[in-house]
Parts: sequence; C-alpha cells; structure tokens
Amino acid sequence: MKKVLKPLIAVIVLALIPWLGVTYGKLDYVFAIIIPYAAGVILALGMLFRLVDWLRRPVPFNIPTTCGQEKSLDWVKTNTLECPSNPFMAALRVLSEVFLFRSLFRNTKAEMAGGPKLVYGSHKWLWLGGLAFHWSMLIIVIRHARFFLATLPVPIELLDTADRFLDVTVPAFYITDAVALAAITFLVLRRLSDAKMRILSLSTDYFPLFLFGAIAIVGISMRYVTKVNIMPVKALAMTLASFGFSEPEPIGALFYVHLFLVCVLLAYIPFSKLVHMGGIFLSPTRNLPNNSRAKWHKNPWNPDIKFRTYAEYEDEFREKMKKAGIPVEKQ
Amino acid sequence: MNKFSKFLVALAAGLAVFVAAWFFMQAGHYGSVSAHAENSPVAAAAPAPGGAPIDSSKCILPTEYMRAHHMQVLNKWRHDSVREGNRTYVNPQGEHFDKSLNTCLGCHGSNPMFCFMCHEFANVKPTCWDCHLSPMEVPQ
Ligand code: HEM
Repeated sequence: MKKVLKPLIAVIVLALIPWLGVTYGKLDYVFAIIIPYAAGVILALGMLFRLVDWLRRPVPFNIPTTCGQEKSLDWVKTNTLECPSNPFMAALRVLSEVFLFRSLFRNTKAEMAGGPKLVYGSHKWLWLGGLAFHWSMLIIVIRHARFFLATLPVPIELLDTADRFLDVTVPAFYITDAVALAAITFLVLRRLSDAKMRILSLSTDYFPLFLFGAIAIVGISMRYVTKVNIMPVKALAMTLASFGFSEPEPIGALFYVHLFLVCVLLAYIPFSKLVHMGGIFLSPTRNLPNNSRAKWHKNPWNPDIKFRTYAEYEDEFREKMKKAGIPVEKQ
Repeated sequence: MNKFSKFLVALAAGLAVFVAAWFFMQAGHYGSVSAHAENSPVAAAAPAPGGAPIDSSKCILPTEYMRAHHMQVLNKWRHDSVREGNRTYVNPQGEHFDKSLNTCLGCHGSNPMFCFMCHEFANVKPTCWDCHLSPMEVPQ
C-alpha cells in the first residue's frame, strides 16, 4: 500500500504548492512565467540528453525478434510488416506501434482456471485502455492549442468540433474528457485489482497515473464546474508561446494548480518511464529491417588484424624448412 | 468464434447502441421544441403579465463572477424559463431581473462586438447565435 499512498500524497502536496503560493504568497509570476519556462527547458534538454545518449550507442547488428516469415525464396510467403526487409516497412512497423500499440495487442494473460490448471488467454483490455488513455490525452493536448494560438488552424478546429459533437452541457462537453477519466480509472484499477500486478507495480507506475488524473480532474473542474476567466489564461498562454515575460492578469488559483502539475509532468518526463514517448522510435527490435540473410553485416568492432597467409610464411622459412626436410609447396 | 471476434462484435454492438441513443436524443430535442410551441403550459406562461422589471442600470452579479460564469448563468436561465416557466431571477441583493437574453443585451447590446471580442480571442464558438439574434445582427 505504501507504493500507492506515497505517490498519491506526492501529487496532493504538489497540487497544494501553487495553490498556497498564489493564494497567500502572491507568487503569480513564479508559477505563471518562471516555472513553465524552467519546466520547458528541463524537458527539452533532458530529452535531448536521453535521445542523443541512446543514438550514440552502437547497434551493430539488426535484431530480428519477429513474429512473421522473413523474406526468403520467391515461393515462400513473407510477412512484410511483421518481418520487414526494407526501411520503409520497418518505419511502418514503428508507426503502427506508436499509433496502434500493435505489440500490446498480442498481450496474453496467464490465469489459474479451476484448480491447478494454468490457462493463457488473449487479453485486449490493457491494449484498449492504453489506447483510449493515450489518444484522449493527445487530443486534449492538441485542443489546448486554442489557448496558445491567436487563430486556430482548421484541422484543430475540426478536431475540437468533432470532440464536442454531442452538444450537451454548457460549455460543450468534450468526449475525450470522459474517455480520459475512464481510462485513467481503469489503468489504476488494473494495477490494484490483481495480486500479481500489485507486486509488479512500483510507486513510479502510480505517480504518472495520479499526476495525469489530477491534471485532468482540475482541468475538467475548471471547464465545467468551478470556472476560470479564460481571457487572462489565453493572454498568458500566448505570452508563453511567444517567449514573452510580461506579468499576467490575476487568474484563479485553481488554474495555477493545473499549470504547475503540467510543469511537474513536463520536467518529470525525461527522467522517468514516460521517456518512452521518445525512446519508442529508437527500439532496435522495431526499427531495424530484418535483412540479416540478404545483407552482410560487418562487425564494426572487429580489430584490424594483420593476417599472414601460408604463402608468406613459407616464403620466410623456405630455406630452413628445406634443411629440416619439411615439404614445401614452392621450390 | 474466437475471443477476439467476440470482442469485436461487442464493440460493434456498443457502438450501434451509442449511435442509436444519440440519434433518439437529438430527435427527442426536436420533438419537444414543437410540442412547446403548440400547446405547452410553458409557452403560455412565458409572456407572463407584469414580468420582472428590467433594471438595465447595473449587472445582475459582480463583473468578476460574470466573466467566468456567464455561460452557466445563461444556461440555467434558459432551462428555468423554457422548461420550468420560471422567468424571474433574484440576485443576492434582492433585485429582480427577467431571465432573458434581453436583460443582458439591455446594456451589453449597445456594443455590437461585446460578445465577439472575447469569444474570438479565446477561440470559443458558443451556439447562442444559432437561434438568437446577436448584438451584431440587431440594427443599432
Ligand atoms: C499535459 C498537458 C495538459 C493536460 C493533459 C490538460 C488537461 C486538461 C483537461 C482534461 C481539461 C478539461 C477540458 C478540456 O478537455 O479541454 C483542461 C482544461 C483546461 N486547461 Fe489543461 N491540460 C494540459 C495543459 C494545460 C496548459 C499548459 C494550460 C495553460 C494554458 C492549460 C489550461 C487549461 C484551462 C484554462 C482549462 C479550462 C478550459 C475551459 O474552461 O474551457 N492546460 N485541461
């Protein structure tokens, strides 16, 4: 239970910091300007550091962990997506992972079925819950462009319209808000409801979930219930987007809770499991074409060995060999 | 049928129920509108004689509150007056107002851009003007 409570308390304390700071400390400028820029810098440099570090690691051979038939003789049917032989199909494999979580689709679950019988079954819930969580979060973040841009580009406008097409509540209800909350709840319960998962889960698994949950709950509360004045928010967001430093008009403390938790999230990404958002593109088992039979992969670490052929050896020792009565090839 | 096909079927069924529910919700809206227009008691109660006076010298609530909450106020007013026939709003100071967009526009209608300035800036597209005349469309 400590693994669950610690991150929960951490998120609550983190949420209280800006609330106290703005309500009692009048630290608006710190939470509106200084901390967001600091978080942005930490995110950018941290990601750069992690990715450059990974990019510099040598990957001398391709790693064909595939689930399909490799390209072979013409009459053998190949599986070009599972076992791509060219970079284009390998890129498709990475993208299908990024957008559709294909590996997770293969997820299986082992269960004891009626006594001592271990049964493996296909288990799609994690795939579905993960997909719902990531897509709704992505759409929510893209929709936030309405704060940062003076005029919305048409694709984002369309996305926004589609998201509130149910046309219920004022302000219009966004479907992704409900989906995000439901998915986060499912992902937390998934870890809590099963003894195996409880042992496997660490506090660093719960913390991002609670953090996202808190950001979403505060955002949803700001939109539908407690409300904030959007005008100074928009002005602040546009200031941040244009790297300005002007002091914002007063905004409700709840907004700063939202913004500060987002800043914590941004700064946390490079140093946590959330860095997978960049790392997934570098997975060697996904992004390398499997052409190990078609192409010769030379080990770049082979030392530069000076080889000596038998002919050279005989040239050097021919006279001595003849004297000793050893047969030679060339007289 | 394997498990995955079952799952797909369940998904499709859920989607169908969802679309159907949405369709009937929408259809229900249109139905209720015509019913009100013909012979509902609400329609009869709407132009109540001696309606609350429109005090157009000041706002119903403090500006700070209105900036953040005006859409909730208007939404509630619409519900109260159209669905429940309750057309009088009493603010904490005990002043009476007509629950009508006209109460707002009594002052704010003088600036044709009053609503649009902020809505444009904040990129929000309220559906008020789908039915109501906006200050921009009313001849000054
Ligand atoms: C990881 C980043 C973020 C997430 C996941 C997030 C999540 C949310 C959610 C779920 C909502 C509910 C309404 C909606 O879906 O639009 C919301 C609303 C809101 N968010 Fe965020 N948010 C993020 C970043 C930000 C940032 C950087 C700002 C700073 C400008 C911000 C300002 C707001 C405001 C002002 C609202 C209220 C919107 C309204 O009243 O219409 N959010 N947020």
